[in-house]
Amino acid sequence: MARYAMVVDKERCVGCQSCTVACKSEWDVPNGHARTRVRSAGTNGTYPNFSSVFYVSQCNHCDHPTCVPACPTGATTQEPNGIVTVNTDLCIGCGSCVVACPYGARYVSPATDKVDKCDFCAARVEQGREPACVETCPAKAKIFGNLEDTSGRVFDLVYRKGARRFETREIALGPNVYYVGKQEHLEMAAASFSPQPPQILAAGFVWTKLAKKMVFLAVGATFLGQAVAFFRQLSVGEKQFED
Amino acid sequence: MMTISRRQFLKGTGVAAALGSVAGAQTFTPGTKGGKRVAMVPTNCEMCFWRCGVMAEVADGKVLKLQGNPHHPLTNGKLCARGNAGIALLNDPDRLKYPQIRTGERGEGKFKRVSWDEALDFLGARLKELKQKYGPESVAMFPHGVHSGFFATLMKAYGTPNSAEPAFAQCRGPRDIGYQLTFGRPVNSPEPVDLEESQCIVLIGSHIGENVFTSQVTAFADGLAKGAKLIVVDPRFSTAASKANWWLPIKPGTDTALLLAWMNVIVTEKLYDKDYLDTYASGFAELEAHVKDYTPEWGERITEIPAAQIRDTAHAMADAKPGVAIHPGRHVTWYGNDTQRARAMAILTALLGAYGRKGGIFLPTKLAQGKIPLPPMPESEKGRADRIGNLYPLASEEAHGLTQGLIETTLSANPYPIKGWIVYGQNVMESIPTRQKTLEAIKKLDFMAVVDVLPMEQTRYADLVLPEATYLERYDPPAIVTTAKRPYVSVRQPAVEPMYESKPGWWIAKQTAKRLGLEAYFPWTDPDDHLRRLIAPMNINESELKSLGAVSFPGKPYIEDRAESDGPLFPTQSGKIELSSSVLKDLNFDAIPKYEAVEEPPAGFLRLIYGRAPVHSFTRSENNAWLDDLMAENPVWISTVAAQNLGMHDGQRVVLENQDGVKSPVITLKVTTAMRNDVAYTVHGFGAQSAGLKKANQHGFSDTALMTRIAIDPLMGATGMRVNFVRVLTEEKA
Repeated sequence: MARYAMVVDKERCVGCQSCTVACKSEWDVPNGHARTRVRSAGTNGTYPNFSSVFYVSQCNHCDHPTCVPACPTGATTQEPNGIVTVNTDLCIGCGSCVVACPYGARYVSPATDKVDKCDFCAARVEQGREPACVETCPAKAKIFGNLEDTSGRVFDLVYRKGARRFETREIALGPNVYYVGKQEHLEMAAASFSPQPPQILAAGFVWTKLAKKMVFLAVGATFLGQAVAFFRQLSVGEKQFED
Repeated sequence: MMTISRRQFLKGTGVAAALGSVAGAQTFTPGTKGGKRVAMVPTNCEMCFWRCGVMAEVADGKVLKLQGNPHHPLTNGKLCARGNAGIALLNDPDRLKYPQIRTGERGEGKFKRVSWDEALDFLGARLKELKQKYGPESVAMFPHGVHSGFFATLMKAYGTPNSAEPAFAQCRGPRDIGYQLTFGRPVNSPEPVDLEESQCIVLIGSHIGENVFTSQVTAFADGLAKGAKLIVVDPRFSTAASKANWWLPIKPGTDTALLLAWMNVIVTEKLYDKDYLDTYASGFAELEAHVKDYTPEWGERITEIPAAQIRDTAHAMADAKPGVAIHPGRHVTWYGNDTQRARAMAILTALLGAYGRKGGIFLPTKLAQGKIPLPPMPESEKGRADRIGNLYPLASEEAHGLTQGLIETTLSANPYPIKGWIVYGQNVMESIPTRQKTLEAIKKLDFMAVVDVLPMEQTRYADLVLPEATYLERYDPPAIVTTAKRPYVSVRQPAVEPMYESKPGWWIAKQTAKRLGLEAYFPWTDPDDHLRRLIAPMNINESELKSLGAVSFPGKPYIEDRAESDGPLFPTQSGKIELSSSVLKDLNFDAIPKYEAVEEPPAGFLRLIYGRAPVHSFTRSENNAWLDDLMAENPVWISTVAAQNLGMHDGQRVVLENQDGVKSPVITLKVTTAMRNDVAYTVHGFGAQSAGLKKANQHGFSDTALMTRIAIDPLMGATGMRVNFVRVLTEEKA
């Protein structure tokens, strides 16, 4: 079984946002949102001795993801290969997972009213391709692979070269996006973009969103047979209409 | 995962198969988006001019995704933000959609929609009329990009020698002339800088990272990862500077002084590559005498870079020789003395033995290229209207001419009147400084036609607007690239049919030729025929080229790879690297560059400098919805000290006013500690003045609009543009 992880090389990254746009194109990410982002950690130092560095962020597919238990409908789950996914059929767009994520990696899409985030391009990976952001990166700053493949680059960078996870003493969820680079640069990025304490959404808000879904589910449970038949017909009908 | 019905699936493949007529050979494969089966159409990107290899995933006649083309020998499957955003250009709702003829006053923006037949008849009739009335030279062409070749042929056949691209006098001309004088050949594009093998990379004003050409970024990152030292000379702490071993925040305008001081260290301490110079170079004794007094201490007084640092960085270069990559730069029209600065960079490169050597500047490899035989072109007795041979001895016609020269002549009618302009893909308002002159010149015209993809400002002034298809919808001449380690040919072929009524440039040019009775200059039947003729002597498989997008050949990048039969290593007049230039001596210019001070900003003013952002290409991408989302305007950057002196703060809304009283719109101030106190910096390309560009219109400000002064390079006529000064006013005071 694979256990996927990403390593970002901060010394290679030039902040060009190629990854952001490749991802946007791959996943139809609406304007104003991103599955992966590149931000500057600002500038440290005094004239003329400065440092600056870019921070590339996305879903970390944490070992202990706070988004999974935060989801009231079971839409967010973690695959055995570590990839945290959102089942959009179950997602009610309540945003509980959005505020539960210490990395700000999730957003509610205005296009679908569902939550969206990086899934390590699972569909591409299934096809044997690299995630869109990795494949396109002109600086070759992103490295993707199987953490359990002892001959792979990711294994090497994580277990031999000291690639670092962005976590704090308080918030240590085992993120699977790692960073390599000069200590100074890693510290700068960590200082600017350290994980934030997960929030729990006010129950009332979730409940209103959830209520609709619950009614739907209750109806489904009572008239299961009819409902299945009905929805099958509906979906067939939809396809014909699309054609 | 998304599932698709069988009918949808069949429909997809059906359309894909029919696309065979659009792009020759294709492979069908599950695309990445929802596993849909797609046609993979390789083509050359045109979000900038680097022409990276793209794979367009096409289904149902739509481009679903652009991937990098892994078969492309230069770009190896990499695409930048702009390249990835090509779909948003294709689908830009603001595109020019059909031919239009002006009905209102020039500049009023009133047009009527016409058919292509009517439009081309109109164009043909007007061109015939101008020729009859004033002679063919009265029409000037303003093209942009290598694909403008079809229009170049058209206008040459028509009989005018007048064509000019900003690529020369507003961009890389001084560099190419400077290197040609020294090594016998221009730098060319893509620049053959061996960044990935370099032991020491030197960037003078180049800001790789913010300035993104994919393969150059890859080579830069590879070179640094392998341990190359990096020296960055820039008044602003750029992304590249953040990766440097040495950031030298040079006083603007003094780069030649730094280069001379570096040469002084290398020559006086005998750190140069003696064997290389003995074998290949001439003029060393003269150079040695010339640089004697340009000590690092002298350099410190001029450049404000400490002498010790000048020595350290000279030593770092010497330690790395010959693997020193001094990047010749690209947009180098700064101060009007730019050819001599480029000469200084070339001479330093030669001292380090780095030209033609691993890790330095590598050599181009010739490719056999097919020629399409054409009838002889008419000779103009009047000569060029920009008089480049007379006014600027080293501006050659082959090097694209002088845009501002053609504008001047349009205004003065000296040496003869220019009455018609054909603008193809060039933004004459924003890529040429002194735009007020450009506007006045346009108002003097009898006729102006613009061929473009988007309604740029200039379309408002045109008599005829022709909508061109985007690069994803058209064939263009193949890229035949010799300045790559593996020289290659790569194709631009349509991934989808042109949207709306847009047409490819080749078709527009060929159809216009028909109207003018010049069909004989377009003897090829269609794009396939055109391509076939050009690649004929290359001995390659046409369908392989079309299905892979590119075919490469073994290269001979280093001196040791060359044989006698490959031609002279240094095709200068003397056959040697000319440290002291015989051509310049003959022309009574400095044979070895001297330092000449440039004008300082007056009290209270900052020098306006400009650069690029990785998500935009000049003025071409600001209307792209995906790129606009990442960067919608260009703040003006000033230093913390400069802001404190003005009592201003980061994020404040301000107005810039230049030395001639020209003001910017209200813009955002960005304050940073990591910049010199005597400059104001911005990203070029914003501030469009065209209501038709619904995203870009009046977003940010135009640096070009503040360039009311230029400093012209006496050698070759380039317009130095960093000679304008601005003061920052509060929104209330402006």
